Amino acid sequence: MRGKSVSLDSVSMRFGDFTAVQPTTLTIQAGEFFSILGPSGCGKTTLLRMISGFMTPTGGTIRIGDADVTALGPNRRPTALIFQNLALFPLMPVWENVAFGLEVRGVSKRQRREKAEELLALVALDGQGDKLPTALSGGQRQRVAIARALAVEPAVLLLDEPLSALDLKLRQHMRTELKEIQRKTGVTFLYITHDQGEALTMSDRVAVMRSGIVEQVGRGDDIYDNPATSFVASFVGESNRLSGTVEAISGGQASIATRFGTLQARCGAGLTAGEKAIVFIRPERTRLQDTPDGSGFALRGTFLRRDLEGPFVNLFFDCQGLPVTVHVTNDSRHASDSAAERWLCIAPEDALALPAGALARDE
Amino acid sequence: MNAVYRSYGPLLGTIILLGVAVWTLAMIIGPQVFMVEQSLWRLEQPDSAVTAGMRIEELNNALSLAQYDLGTLDGATEPDKVAEREKLARSVSEMEQELSTLQGQDTAPVKVYTIGNYTEMSGYHAEIFVKTIGASLLVTLIAFAVCYPVAYAAAKLAKPQRAALILLGLVIPYAINELLRVFAWLMILDYQGVANSVLLWLGLPEPIRFLDSGIGVFVAMVYAYVLFMVFPIYNTIETLDSNQIEAARDLGASTWKIHTRVVLPHAKPGIAVGSIMTFMLSAGSFSVPHIMTRGTAQPWFSQLIYSKFYDSFYWNQGAAYAFTLLLVCVAFIIIMMKVFKVGIRDIAK
Repeated sequence: MRGKSVSLDSVSMRFGDFTAVQPTTLTIQAGEFFSILGPSGCGKTTLLRMISGFMTPTGGTIRIGDADVTALGPNRRPTALIFQNLALFPLMPVWENVAFGLEVRGVSKRQRREKAEELLALVALDGQGDKLPTALSGGQRQRVAIARALAVEPAVLLLDEPLSALDLKLRQHMRTELKEIQRKTGVTFLYITHDQGEALTMSDRVAVMRSGIVEQVGRGDDIYDNPATSFVASFVGESNRLSGTVEAISGGQASIATRFGTLQARCGAGLTAGEKAIVFIRPERTRLQDTPDGSGFALRGTFLRRDLEGPFVNLFFDCQGLPVTVHVTNDSRHASDSAAERWLCIAPEDALALPAGALARDE
Repeated sequence: MNAVYRSYGPLLGTIILLGVAVWTLAMIIGPQVFMVEQSLWRLEQPDSAVTAGMRIEELNNALSLAQYDLGTLDGATEPDKVAEREKLARSVSEMEQELSTLQGQDTAPVKVYTIGNYTEMSGYHAEIFVKTIGASLLVTLIAFAVCYPVAYAAAKLAKPQRAALILLGLVIPYAINELLRVFAWLMILDYQGVANSVLLWLGLPEPIRFLDSGIGVFVAMVYAYVLFMVFPIYNTIETLDSNQIEAARDLGASTWKIHTRVVLPHAKPGIAVGSIMTFMLSAGSFSVPHIMTRGTAQPWFSQLIYSKFYDSFYWNQGAAYAFTLLLVCVAFIIIMMKVFKVGIRDIAK
């Protein structure tokens, strides 16, 4: 199996007056694990359905490899789609499910069976071929769906939030497994999700979408550390946010006037002096001190609440009406840290100023 | 039973159980038992009654002769004639006595239990029976061929509002009396009816005899029972996850393959229910063949049953015919369940 690249050239989708996907130009490399991340209703599923062929874009062209597939139906594209609810055929045994794509291509029963067993072995389901899908566990059904999609030897595998129905442990396990299968087969994976954890852990590159627009494309680290817009910064990961006005920009640093005083931060894309800006600080990079050491900006906070997450602890503070969260590693030093008043220190390299814009809704 | 009492309390529980019992007895068991019992006997003249009848005939003849002879001897005074008259009078009174005893006996025919009502179906009736079953199967098949695409379109292709409209359109004609609907078809398919007028206008050399040839019965029957096929199939297809259809298409399946491998297997219970209802209704239909053929084509088996009951007033054989039809329908249900591999519970759904 070999993956192929997917190129979108000004692809757009309109439903009447509503534009689900704004003209989008995007190239997914052959053999890449690419994720599209966004909240529900951002147009990521529409994009996927256009690539799989279930929808014809109202504008633009889609190419898979060198071929223009814009006008082809889903059964004539070298793609295979894994549905959110998997859509296994409940009345067929597992092996027939896996071999369905071969059956409709007229492959003989013996060859189908062989190929099915081979694929079931790939997804670690050897010997489960004669069971009905309902007899399998959630994770096993997941793997059947993957095997069924791989059976038609697609150049691109499209995954529509396939892990969302699984419980947390299984979901984390399946992430590793999906990545492993992608590596073994070399097929291009296009993964749609609203779960940033999935997108960041598995993907080579991630595209973040909002309201039909791709706001940023990049490696997971880029997306997390250098978000291009305030939406990306607020949607991916958690952040403490300070709003203010840009005073000056020099050498990649911006001075932002806030109601707590002037703060130095890294200058994000599109920032201009005099404009409104939001400063984003990740909770794990907000440091907790008894007295400010003078190296950066410091806020005095009143301790509110402590949430144990397991490996880390979330401490919530109130800084004169501004809520601030601090992540501390659960290494017993901070585990029972609950002094009433603390200093929250922010180094300039840990703060990122971006033009004020749309934020992700807190759900 | 205990569960019913636990859930509904003693009063409501008793009412429910009584209701079920009355329903089962009065609606299901009672009429069937009565029908089967009827079909298993008939009234027959006992053998003795047959010989007695002959003897009565004989006696009547002999009696009138003797009375005539007696009349000729009336008023005679010769001793030998007097003796003969007395002898004749004696034998007349003997004969009259025997006659009155015999006449007292033969009036009551005897109820005889027999399976003759079932086994004595004439060749002609058996032929009609087989043809009715065959025709009903054909009606079922045609109804399925017509309904499946409609049900699929309504369930999966149309937008919800459009689907509601399609289903409403299917239901509306059923608000009209069945007889009116059948008469409407009679007018359409008549020798000089609407269909033939259109066909003649389109250039057909002469009108088609829809009604006499029996085609009319098929058309009207498919129309009359189409709803009983559409809705069960629609209901099952509606529950099919559309993603499965898309998944099949995505894996490269043709429309034919999508239907034979994904949609039809899922719709099996609905098809089974629809077929059973359509078959039973067509096999037992009286008004449609009665009106559409007007006696010009071979009757439907149900018409035979009707005439057994009401024209020849032979209830016993009528009951036997009716029960035979019921047995075939039950057999059909069992066969459908086996063929479609659905349980009684799937059908009940």
